[in-house]
Amino acid sequence: MNSDYDTRLEAEISRELKDLPPLRAPDSLVPRVLAALERRSVAPSYRRSWQMWPASLQWASLLVLLILFGGLCFAGWKLSQMEAVTVSMQRVENWFSGFSAIGGTLSVLWSSAVLILKHLGAGFMIACLTALGLGYAVCLGLGTIYVRIALAASAPFERTPNRSRSWQP
Amino acid sequence: MTNPQQFEAFMRDHQNMVFSTAMRLLANQTEAEDIAQEVFLKAFEHFDQLDNNPRAGGWLRVVTTNLSLNHLARYRSRWSFFSELSGGSPDEAQEPEFPAGQTLHEELDQAERRALVEQALQKLPAAQRVPLVLYHLEGLAYDEIASKLGVSLGKVKTDIFRGRQALRKKLRLTLQPESV
Repeated sequence: MNSDYDTRLEAEISRELKDLPPLRAPDSLVPRVLAALERRSVAPSYRRSWQMWPASLQWASLLVLLILFGGLCFAGWKLSQMEAVTVSMQRVENWFSGFSAIGGTLSVLWSSAVLILKHLGAGFMIACLTALGLGYAVCLGLGTIYVRIALAASAPFERTPNRSRSWQP
Repeated sequence: MTNPQQFEAFMRDHQNMVFSTAMRLLANQTEAEDIAQEVFLKAFEHFDQLDNNPRAGGWLRVVTTNLSLNHLARYRSRWSFFSELSGGSPDEAQEPEFPAGQTLHEELDQAERRALVEQALQKLPAAQRVPLVLYHLEGLAYDEIASKLGVSLGKVKTDIFRGRQALRKKLRLTLQPESV
């Protein structure tokens, strides 16, 4: 890239763009915002965003959350020290011991599947992966063609010259 | 409490700037309106600080830019593949025909020329338009743009250069001779 050319191009484009006046906002924008604000104002305070709550409620909610958090931490610490809880936890562990047997079975099944795949060989694996890749490419291609057709169909409407737009300066 | 009339006047003062910023970044009127609405709803939450503040315009501009970029990042990435496919050809169909030997400046009056520049800008692919707008209209430096868009500095420079080239071609700009 020629630096002199770049500098002149930058200056020229900058001049053209900075010369642009602001676009005219649609007339519907202000009523739209006011309607949204109206909807917000009639909603009860607990349904508005936290920033919109009255300051007293914000502080109260913070305090409640802090108390809840502190209470949870304290309760967790206390529970972990209680003997009854430790015994209960062991009991729960015993209930779930059956799941370890299921886990063991699944692991054996997985090992068998790996063994079968090894037996079938790398060629089979490559063929499977290729088939998957081809399937994906076909889906992507069909999707692309569909989108192109859809874009082409909508283009005549988009490209109508002299269309009126409220944002045009 | 915010006075609704005051806020309405505030919106009317700034709506064109907010809408323009969003529109030039997004190139989509519906999305630009949605972003402008979101910006003013945020402004309402901070209206006690913004009212009669000389920096309110700057605040609105920055919020609009950030919301527009977030919007682009969130909703456009999934369609980027398809939009890239269709990005090249429609622009050419939009290009006006000029008789040979005439420049754009000679042929069109100022309002028409501005409308054409606006249209040419809107028709640029997002990858070129967004950094170009951030650089020339929002006054951001290359490294700031790279950081905002999460791309490399080199890509920003290349995209801006391509965007300028595309605009120059579309607008048939004749570069001024080098001043001594």
